[in-house]
Amino acid sequence: MADGPATFTTLITAFTTFLTVAIHTILYERSIYPRTSFLSARKYNHAVRQSRHPKVCQWIADAVAAVESELLKGTVGRVAVVIFDQSEKPLERFMFDCSRLPVVPAGEWDTPLVRESKNGERTDILPLVDLEEQLRAAMAKLTVCGTLLRPVPENCSFTVAIELKDEGDAPIGHPQPWVPVSPGLQKSVHKDAESRGRTGEDVGGVRTTPLRNVEAGEMMFEMWIEEGKTKMRGPEKNGNVVKLGEGWRSSASS
Amino acid sequence: MGSRLEQKSTLVRKRIEGHTFDDEAGDEYEGSKFGGFPEYFRRKKIKLQNKDAQLRTQSGDKPNIFKGVVCHVNGYTQPSLNDLHTMIVQHGGGFLQYLDGKTMVTHIIASNLTPKKKEEFKRYRIVKPAWIVDSIAAGKLLPWDAYRVVDEGVGQKVLGFENGNVITQANRKTQGYKEQTDTSWYTSQLKARDVQATSSSTARPRPTLTQTVTPSEEIEDDEYPLPEITSSIERAMEGVDVLDDDDDELPEPTERTEGISDREAKLETPPPTSPPPLPGDETLFPPDDGAAKTTSPIKTPTRQAFRKDIVPSPGPTAVPAPTQSPAKQETALQPRQGSQEPDYTMSIVKNSEALRSISPSRLANMTAEEHNALLLSDPKIRKSTVVHPDFLEQYYRESRLHHLSTWKADLKAQLQALAAEKSSSQKDKLRIKKLPGQRRYIMHVDFDSFFAAVSLKKHPEYVDKPAVVAHGSGSGSEIASCNYPARAFGVSNGMWMRRAQELCPELKILPYDFPGYEEASRKFYDAIMATGGVVQSVSIDEALVDISQICFAEAATDGVKRAEGGVDREQAVADGIAQKMRDEVLAKTGCAVSVGIGGNILLAKVALRRAKPAGQYQLRPEEVLEFIGKLEVKSLPGVAWSIGGRLEEIGCKLVKDIREMTKEKLINTLGPKTGEKLWDYARGIDRAEVGDQVVRKSVSAEVNWGVRFENQEQVDEFMHGLCGELHKRLIKEKVKGKQLTMKVMRRAGDAPRDPPKHLGHGKCDTYNKSIQLGVATNDKEVIVKEAIAMMKSLNISPGELRGIGIQMQKLDTLKAGPDGADLTSQRKLFFKPGQLSKPPAERADDTVPEDPIQDDVKTPQKAQRFVDANNRPSVPIPPIAPSTPSKKLLNTLGTQFVLPTQFDPSVLAELPEDIRSKLAKLVKPDPPMRAPPELAKAAAEGPAKPVQPFSAIMGLPNQSQLDPSILEALPEDVRAEIMGLYNKSPGNRKRGEQALLPQSPRKARTLPISKQPVKRKRGGGLFAGRARSNMRSGDSSTLTQANFVARPVSRHLQNDDVTTATDTEAEPAAADDTVDPEFLAALPEDVRREVLAQQRNVRLQRAGGIDLSLHQRPRAQRGKKRAVEDEVLPERVIVLPPRPSKPTFTSRKLTELPDLRDAMKAWYQEFEDEAPYEEDVLALIKYLRGVVVDERDVGKAIAVVKWVQWLLDEGEAHGSAKDGWSKALIQVQDGVQCAAEERGLGRLDFG
Repeated sequence: MADGPATFTTLITAFTTFLTVAIHTILYERSIYPRTSFLSARKYNHAVRQSRHPKVCQWIADAVAAVESELLKGTVGRVAVVIFDQSEKPLERFMFDCSRLPVVPAGEWDTPLVRESKNGERTDILPLVDLEEQLRAAMAKLTVCGTLLRPVPENCSFTVAIELKDEGDAPIGHPQPWVPVSPGLQKSVHKDAESRGRTGEDVGGVRTTPLRNVEAGEMMFEMWIEEGKTKMRGPEKNGNVVKLGEGWRSSASS
Repeated sequence: MGSRLEQKSTLVRKRIEGHTFDDEAGDEYEGSKFGGFPEYFRRKKIKLQNKDAQLRTQSGDKPNIFKGVVCHVNGYTQPSLNDLHTMIVQHGGGFLQYLDGKTMVTHIIASNLTPKKKEEFKRYRIVKPAWIVDSIAAGKLLPWDAYRVVDEGVGQKVLGFENGNVITQANRKTQGYKEQTDTSWYTSQLKARDVQATSSSTARPRPTLTQTVTPSEEIEDDEYPLPEITSSIERAMEGVDVLDDDDDELPEPTERTEGISDREAKLETPPPTSPPPLPGDETLFPPDDGAAKTTSPIKTPTRQAFRKDIVPSPGPTAVPAPTQSPAKQETALQPRQGSQEPDYTMSIVKNSEALRSISPSRLANMTAEEHNALLLSDPKIRKSTVVHPDFLEQYYRESRLHHLSTWKADLKAQLQALAAEKSSSQKDKLRIKKLPGQRRYIMHVDFDSFFAAVSLKKHPEYVDKPAVVAHGSGSGSEIASCNYPARAFGVSNGMWMRRAQELCPELKILPYDFPGYEEASRKFYDAIMATGGVVQSVSIDEALVDISQICFAEAATDGVKRAEGGVDREQAVADGIAQKMRDEVLAKTGCAVSVGIGGNILLAKVALRRAKPAGQYQLRPEEVLEFIGKLEVKSLPGVAWSIGGRLEEIGCKLVKDIREMTKEKLINTLGPKTGEKLWDYARGIDRAEVGDQVVRKSVSAEVNWGVRFENQEQVDEFMHGLCGELHKRLIKEKVKGKQLTMKVMRRAGDAPRDPPKHLGHGKCDTYNKSIQLGVATNDKEVIVKEAIAMMKSLNISPGELRGIGIQMQKLDTLKAGPDGADLTSQRKLFFKPGQLSKPPAERADDTVPEDPIQDDVKTPQKAQRFVDANNRPSVPIPPIAPSTPSKKLLNTLGTQFVLPTQFDPSVLAELPEDIRSKLAKLVKPDPPMRAPPELAKAAAEGPAKPVQPFSAIMGLPNQSQLDPSILEALPEDVRAEIMGLYNKSPGNRKRGEQALLPQSPRKARTLPISKQPVKRKRGGGLFAGRARSNMRSGDSSTLTQANFVARPVSRHLQNDDVTTATDTEAEPAAADDTVDPEFLAALPEDVRREVLAQQRNVRLQRAGGIDLSLHQRPRAQRGKKRAVEDEVLPERVIVLPPRPSKPTFTSRKLTELPDLRDAMKAWYQEFEDEAPYEEDVLALIKYLRGVVVDERDVGKAIAVVKWVQWLLDEGEAHGSAKDGWSKALIQVQDGVQCAAEERGLGRLDFG
């Protein structure tokens, strides 16, 4: 969050900063890595955890950077931190719905943003105080998720995935930072409602726990946790979901 | 200086002035009493003043220039205290022998002060004795400031004035007694006498140009500090002097030098490639033995020999001998063909028409730039300076040192790569296998006098005679390599030829044979590789080989145990390998190599010394300590005179002395790293491993020869070239750097304009400046920009520049992606196409062929011919016009300061926008011709000018920033073009029609009521369009909302036109129900359908619902009239349209959770006894759906549902009412779940 007027870049950077913190916290709370490998730190005036392992940090930084570049393109609907069990079945998905962030054409990323309210007044794009308060609350919610959720089995892994908006093109290209997610998490690519069976069986999970809706200026996103059926041990088909677009998860490097 | 000094000293002064002395009758002449020291002292001072008074009266008619001055002398001075005292007093000043307080006197005289006193006296007038002396000489009181002893601080720049130009000078005072003795009064008096004496005996004083400052860094042999070029300067100047002399006068100096040179000539053995000197040479210099011994005080005793091949023909003593023909000179020059260094001699400078035509006094008064311009006006000189376009290329092509070093480096790199390739797999294996305590066998293989040995192959007749390799036979050429017979004479590598020839007169000089070296080096490495050890290339003729594994394998040991004579076997194997390799190299190359074998690199190197020449030596572990102990410290690798000197200071001459030192003492003396290393070395420990590669840390390009500029443009242009060179090297090394360091050499304040070495840098002050680039780069443009900026910040006048170097540090290796894009550094944002681009650079290239000097390729031979032709009047070719437009244009590239005033509009139009905008500021308004610059100009003068209108991000300024008055002032066609540009610019398509209008927003603003408010939302597309259409939907939709009816989802289109907003203000709400058919017709079909659907929706909702409160209209909000127009944006921004308002609940427009809870509670309490109405439940579901889908706050929806659930649990509903509520709850839950699933969420947890 640099000085000067808020631009789209600062907005997105603020979001990805939060995302980074959140990922570290999730890794800690869900015990993906040994808890002793985390440092206690302070962010948003809230105690957070940070992994000490350089490779973990590097991976997260790379993944978030890749997410950031997609976010800047404005094609990302949701960002998901997915926790897998050993057999690569998704157990939990920590969702960040960022589809309400503004979309700015590529040439204007560094142009200051303003939003007009209805009566023509300017509102703050990134009200730092509000933002911090909101993000702090979100972090607080996230840190108690460990008690809300059933613990995950040992040797879980995680990844970062993005779900694109309907109109978004898949981030294909070289170098390839993104690979398609497993079919179970894919959303249907068919636009007509008839072929609803194509929706991945793991999308949506079986239990959704809303976490928080962050609203501070233009920083608007929603967080919730989905628990997959593998975790709940109660396979429950929810074939009623029609969602368009594709899911992508970050490949390990960028 | 302030009153503090004045007050007391004035009193003292008055007292002294009022002091009279008549006779010795005063009470001060009474005897002192016992214990009356204060009284005694007071009297003593009075008596001293008596003496002064008497002195003053006796001084006669001496002017009272020191009236009002009271002095005190501190410390040793010249003239002495007594002399100064007399001088001051005689000239009307006051003198105090005893300083009771610093303020008692006006001036304190001292030549030097201790640091403590300097600090104490900082604020007082401390003057040098010269002030007194000079004042008396001048007959008036000189300003004391010029004679300060204590200045403002060492190193601080002071302003100086030179011919009206302000120049900065480094405040560098040489301090100490030497300065005093050299410049002191006595010395000057002595000198004056001396000069009188000499001037009477010799012809005239030496020309000022001969006071040479030798560039210290170029001199390696202190004893013979002057390189050949210097000597030729002096000689050349003598030649000139002689020429100016009267014919009948035989100047002694000339004769004397000739005498010396004659002897030199006899010593010099001509190189084999050059023909023997003609006998006629001897006749040129009649021997004069006596002259060589005479010395005069001014003559420098280190007069240099000079080569006879460049002796000038003029001069009264030089008989124009027939042998002095051009042909002879050509042949004599042969040996210098190997020399690539441009070797003009000073005589060119001295004899150039331009310089000679100027009187020395004028020469001295010129500014540095003028001086350079004058110098450069000689085309021959110009050609070899930086202002020549091909200078850099030539410089790097012809500089011999550069050639040697790059050649060596290249070869070494190649061989290193080869070695690394061959042994990498092996090395890995070896690293893993290495056991603790394992013995090692390292070979250090080295050619014996590589260059000499290889060169001697072509001249086998000299093998047994002392021979050296050098680039020429000149006295100043450096010996690159010498064979062992030569070494026996004491000749060593790096020695100056003159010294070597002194030591060994029959020295043979061999030329370089680069192909031969390369070939030999390859064969050498082939042989080394064949051993199969781990090879580390040290140099082209030197390598380290780790043969431990081979030894262990062949000796069948593990390298750790000492049993069964394994060690001996290993050693035998090592010797065998070395012997075999030596034989092989000898067979292949015909040159001998020496091998040193030891347990580590240090020992191998030390052993090699013993092995040489052409032998091998294995330093066995048991003799290591003894062997090393006997060595001198300087023979350890990495220890030379500097460290050696320091070691000697602490009493270490031999290595074993080091062993007696504690590690702490070594570390204290030499620093932690070196100290520890030496401590280890002394014990034969060296932890370096064979195969350790030294990583390159920096890449640089530096030029400090031929740097002469006339103006800033040339500097900038040169920076381009130099940065290009650096860029090339960075590319070659495949690296990028993050830190750019610039080294600038500036002529030292006291250095002569023309340094002793022709076009050299002479004595210089060196400035360094670094900048962090943040992102690793090797981009030429970036480097140029930063370099020029740094150069500017140093603020050195172009004429004073003598050397420029740029260096890239903090290197990153470049990894190119498969598509050529590089992957290492941060990706770049491409804001607008076309940053700094090629066109100007191409133009610069175009200018090159026009250069009159360009095709005249410089060779050393030609340079010599200039000497020959130095008396011919050379036609001065005017310098390349520095003001050609193309040149100017080039210079604008990196800088924002120097901009051309005129340029071709068509070129301008081709330029990228950001450059154009820079240039455009300078254009005079001439609209029809230059539309694009005019546009930019208009923008530049727009109201937003202070807020960086030309940031790189934007091409065109926001339309709102155009000043309407400027626009109006433009001709019609230009205005249309400008507006057309806006029309075309991306993201603006939506308001195309409007942009075409020659109307600016500002103008619209002046209208009383905006009929046509300008939409300034940028960024078209679905998002913007939809969002804008929502602008007023919040207001209007509430109009139609039923009391407890969910308001329509905000996505519905209402009314885009703001005019309706103002118009409908007074109208009743009905306006919203009926949509203007015209407006509808204008909408796209899908939008229209949506609008109509919503209309219907609204009507339906109003029909049903709970009537809790009156249908009311939020007039307050309605009444808020939108401002006529927004204030003009201060800078370019993206204006996002207002957010679609949140879905609200009930007419009270509840959105916050607590309010919602209250509403739920009220609702429940109201209908606790009966089931809730279906409509209300639907309304709630609809709202919650809106919350989930549009507001995207599932959490809130769930919280509401949970609250209802809690209300039910807590409530007291019974029977059917309870069932009804439960049903309603399930309905609501399902509704929310459906909404969630619509968003792709899973089963919500209402638990």
